[in-house]
Amino acid sequence: MYLTDEEKRMLHGDEGVVRQKCMQYLVAQCEASGAERLIDLDGTGDFHTPATAMAKSFEFSLEELKELAESGAKFKIPTFANKAPMPGPQPFHGWETCGMHPYDDPERNIKARYEEYLSLYRKMGLLATHSCALYLTASYWPSIGQHCTWTESSAVPYCNAVLGARSNLDGNFASCFLGKTAYYGNHITENRRATVLVKSERMIASDLEWDLYGFVTGELCGISVPCLTGTAKPMTTAFMRLNSAMNTGGAITMYHIPGSTPEAPTIEAAFQGHAPKDVVLIGTAELRRAYDTLNYLPAENVDFVSLGCPHYNLVDLWRLSLLLEGKTCKTCVWIMTSPWLYDIAKNQGFLKIFEDAGANLMSATCPAAMGGVPDGVKTIAVDSAKQAYYITGCYPDLENPLHVCYGSMEDCIEAALTGKWRGEWR
Amino acid sequence: MREIRINGRKEFGGQVTAEALVSPKPLEGFTNCSAKEGYTTERNHPLFKVPFKGKVLVFPYARGSGGFRAYGNGAHTPAAYVHHKTNSLTINCAICAQIPSVTDLEIDPTTVVETGDRVFVNGDEGYIVVYKKD
Repeated sequence: MYLTDEEKRMLHGDEGVVRQKCMQYLVAQCEASGAERLIDLDGTGDFHTPATAMAKSFEFSLEELKELAESGAKFKIPTFANKAPMPGPQPFHGWETCGMHPYDDPERNIKARYEEYLSLYRKMGLLATHSCALYLTASYWPSIGQHCTWTESSAVPYCNAVLGARSNLDGNFASCFLGKTAYYGNHITENRRATVLVKSERMIASDLEWDLYGFVTGELCGISVPCLTGTAKPMTTAFMRLNSAMNTGGAITMYHIPGSTPEAPTIEAAFQGHAPKDVVLIGTAELRRAYDTLNYLPAENVDFVSLGCPHYNLVDLWRLSLLLEGKTCKTCVWIMTSPWLYDIAKNQGFLKIFEDAGANLMSATCPAAMGGVPDGVKTIAVDSAKQAYYITGCYPDLENPLHVCYGSMEDCIEAALTGKWRGEWR
Repeated sequence: MREIRINGRKEFGGQVTAEALVSPKPLEGFTNCSAKEGYTTERNHPLFKVPFKGKVLVFPYARGSGGFRAYGNGAHTPAAYVHHKTNSLTINCAICAQIPSVTDLEIDPTTVVETGDRVFVNGDEGYIVVYKKD
């Protein structure tokens, strides 16, 4: 592979241990991906804190990080924090009444353990968004053609398809710090070409339809680049549903919706002048099958409701406040959002509405990321394919399964208020 | 015994021969793989709770979260990975696990390899040889 003289010097260790380990990881990434060179990033990046590397063998010590930060080193590109520090990210907000330990609980020492890393990262310029949907609060976005390094499976399509910027699913310290990543996959124009034409029998418009459609598209298209037709024009929530569900059923990091996404005003542009290799028809039967898959051993009595996967945006929170205003929840309710939107929700009065209804607004994490829901919960209601499909992985004991009811936000709130699941396929 | 060679590309170097564990369905990580136990926890998956430690893990491609690396972390890693198509998930997983991995194969290996077949994985040169049981 080709390395510039500067890259060779870093790899050789002439620029210090941290830059050397970062370069070693990036070279390993090139070898594994078949990339022949690195590309300089001109967009944005994020990574899961507090890890210093994506793979253990390339990690470096806290002392080495301290030395680096104190030398005045900064991240080369605007760099954001994904979710609360891993593993088992604890909520930044809203833990008081939900039976979880807070991020800054002194007895568990989690914040104290991570804070040294985070304070050094912040010194280097890390912007503490701490959300899977950090692109909503980042207030700073890459534009068409800019090269990025993002890390969340539900977020990477937002970078590629929605913004037209370019990223693989590889956000990590090394890439953000050096501003470089392996040149492969979505960084290369021809790899962004659609190969599968997806047609839909049914107009995809509601949040639930986008979610189901994303899951089915992921299952049917796998790791291809699909061109999606037969949908309404998506807004932010629809994109979030589509992107997260696609990367639950499959692994789609790039797609086109002609007329909606920036790289393809037409179907012909999406295919870059080539013919589709495959044509997929998604009908009501496929959506129904996904609905039945995502409802896992559904039960009538619901004792837990989780919303906000990916983390709810401000409009989702507003819609939810309309459903909960003046009501009282019978079940435990968790509403997940990003830490910075939590403060806005508080100023908007949404937090008070949720609290008065007995619902918990929380930030920076989610049940699956935390490894489950509080002990004793038997049936959870969710409005997200991603959460529905991952939460059961935390409960592999088939003798004591977690039952999952999956439906719309409205179905979930009905369950929260009555303790009964009345969601059904429509 | 029949020998079938399938050419592909190195994802991670090293050479090993071991018994295959084949997943016809793409694999998914994060909560749907237990690195601690060394098996898939995805509901209704053909490899649900089937240990992969020491096996040549053969699958079409990786899907889902960046937490796919659960297949490459911990004390129960496979002996090697063989998969039809590469993506960021398999790339990082192979780097985490530091075990031989061959990808971008000329044909989908799950159509040739069956669980129990012995497979030679040459991660250095990017090919596999399947020793069919018959």
